[in-house]
Amino acid sequence: MILIVSAISFTLLSSAGGDALSTLRENPQISDKTIEGLKRIYGLDRTFAERYGLWLFGAVSGDLGESFVFRIPVRTIIWSRFLNTLIMSALAFVIAVVISFFLSILSVRYRRRFLSGFIETIILLSASTPRMVLALLVLVVTLRFSMSAPAAGEINLFQLFSGAIVLAVPLISVFLAQLRVGLADAMNEDFVRLARAKGLAEWRVIASHALRAALNPFLSIAGLSFGGLLGGSVIVETVLGWPGLGALMVSAVRGRDVPLVMGVVLVASAAVWLGNTIAEVLQLVNDKRLRSDRG
Amino acid sequence: MDVLLTRRRSPRNRAMIAGLVIVFAFYFIAIFADFLAPYDYREQTRQEPSAPMSNIRFRDDQGIWHLRPFIYAQKLADARNMRYDEEVTQKYPLTMFAHGRPYSLFGFVPSDTHLFGVESAEGENPPRLHLLGTDQLGRDRFSRLLLAIRFSLLVSPAGTVLACIIGIIFGAISGYAYSNVDSVMMGIADAMISLPTLILILAARAAFPLELPPITAALLLIIIFGLTGWAEMARLTRGLVLSMKQREFIIAARSIGLTERRILWRHILPNITSPLIVQATLMLPAFLLAETALSFLGVGLQEPEPSLGNMLSLSSDLVMLKASPFILLSPGIVIFLFVFGIRLAVRRKTELFT
Repeated sequence: MILIVSAISFTLLSSAGGDALSTLRENPQISDKTIEGLKRIYGLDRTFAERYGLWLFGAVSGDLGESFVFRIPVRTIIWSRFLNTLIMSALAFVIAVVISFFLSILSVRYRRRFLSGFIETIILLSASTPRMVLALLVLVVTLRFSMSAPAAGEINLFQLFSGAIVLAVPLISVFLAQLRVGLADAMNEDFVRLARAKGLAEWRVIASHALRAALNPFLSIAGLSFGGLLGGSVIVETVLGWPGLGALMVSAVRGRDVPLVMGVVLVASAAVWLGNTIAEVLQLVNDKRLRSDRG
Repeated sequence: MDVLLTRRRSPRNRAMIAGLVIVFAFYFIAIFADFLAPYDYREQTRQEPSAPMSNIRFRDDQGIWHLRPFIYAQKLADARNMRYDEEVTQKYPLTMFAHGRPYSLFGFVPSDTHLFGVESAEGENPPRLHLLGTDQLGRDRFSRLLLAIRFSLLVSPAGTVLACIIGIIFGAISGYAYSNVDSVMMGIADAMISLPTLILILAARAAFPLELPPITAALLLIIIFGLTGWAEMARLTRGLVLSMKQREFIIAARSIGLTERRILWRHILPNITSPLIVQATLMLPAFLLAETALSFLGVGLQEPEPSLGNMLSLSSDLVMLKASPFILLSPGIVIFLFVFGIRLAVRRKTELFT
């Protein structure tokens, strides 16, 4: 899958008319000879297949090439940025999981009308609030309480937590909707009735029997949400000035920095693929029946 | 169909109607944006950069009440702090159906009537009424907002339609194919769903020049949405086709010797349209958000054309944002309301179907 994605993006990027040198070409003080020399240095004078082959070979051995704009290896830029994004996304994920588990367990434990209304309102509101607007709101709050305006490149805890909350909001709606329905269905199953008949406390019934049944559909939804989370981080990082992968991607696209764009695409797809794989493994761990199916 | 009947009887009806009203109101705005907007969205004035909202008054400075609302002219008093003072010497009453910038309604009915405007004596230029103030270049933000709604609300349904066509064809083939082909096709669809779409869109966007004329930018956005957003539709279609294939009337159709293609088009697809339409409606907010995100990041629709996204990106001016957050975030409020309306309108149905 990663191979296909990289091939498609590489083709698209190479077939583009302009590259990082086209701005130089318009400058009358830079001669054609200099540009030809630069082309040779960056390997732009080779054919498309050669370039992709070289890039792929490098990527496999851990070398993603050199950024056109920053003039340093792509790997060094991406690595620190990736860690920043990972911290914020992981925190967002934890927040979303904790809130949605807490609320959905409450909703099946105490079947009150106002509680389910409350949860539905939360699902509705969090599903329709775009991350962009929330991030800007966070910015307004920051300014209003005359905290230091987020300087680019600077990391502080408030930024981390507010960014993570903004990232978490749309996730909450997806997770909560899935978990609540899943748990409510599980509560009507025979094994839950059996667990109750054994005399288990209601909390135990939910935590160790119903939750386990509701976990697998939740895990597959969670696995599918990683891509959206990374996409959302592009916006949130740009607005809040968090030095992560998403903000890097935006500047790379604006600067038409092909190796950097390719590097980010590769790392992002790899991260999403890894996340999906972990989610699938967890499903197998959780449900023994799946193991025999998949061999 | 009984599914529709249950929905009609459900107590959530009011929420659905409220949602529909919101959505239709937005489409009304999108269609009549030229008429509703008092000024040209591109017109810049040096005299009024970053002007605040006009005060619509009923009571003048002598304390006398007037039946007809009026405004005072605003003058830039302090250019460094962007402070404006009102000149209370002359009142300018507001008027309905004022004449202003010529435009053509629906693209072919020429007109110069706008819903409201400011009245003045013959030969004099009235001050401009800024319901949401002006931006840094002195453009009327309210007019820009209305035109932005038009752009965003036309691009995202177009993208949705394209994505639906691809998704339905892909899903129908997959539902009909043999197990190996089916599992490969669904593997592709799953990969599409889980990919970091926004990052891929950005990468794809890097392949084209950053500055694009508005029509090209809109077309590009529509194609990108179509190519990246079809996967969920394909999954749904496949599932529905698979379940339909088991039904007696399909077996009956096959037994009288109809071709598979005819069965698919005439018997299966008409029976699964309503869940497909619901899915399509739910895709709309996602595309709207993607469009605003791209324009926000400066790779969607370019200035001076307004879109909800690039209007929001202008609001990252921190000084202005601190002074008047609600005006600057008004495009965000619009996005929120529209998505909220759609969610209210179609939420129940999906829960019934799944």
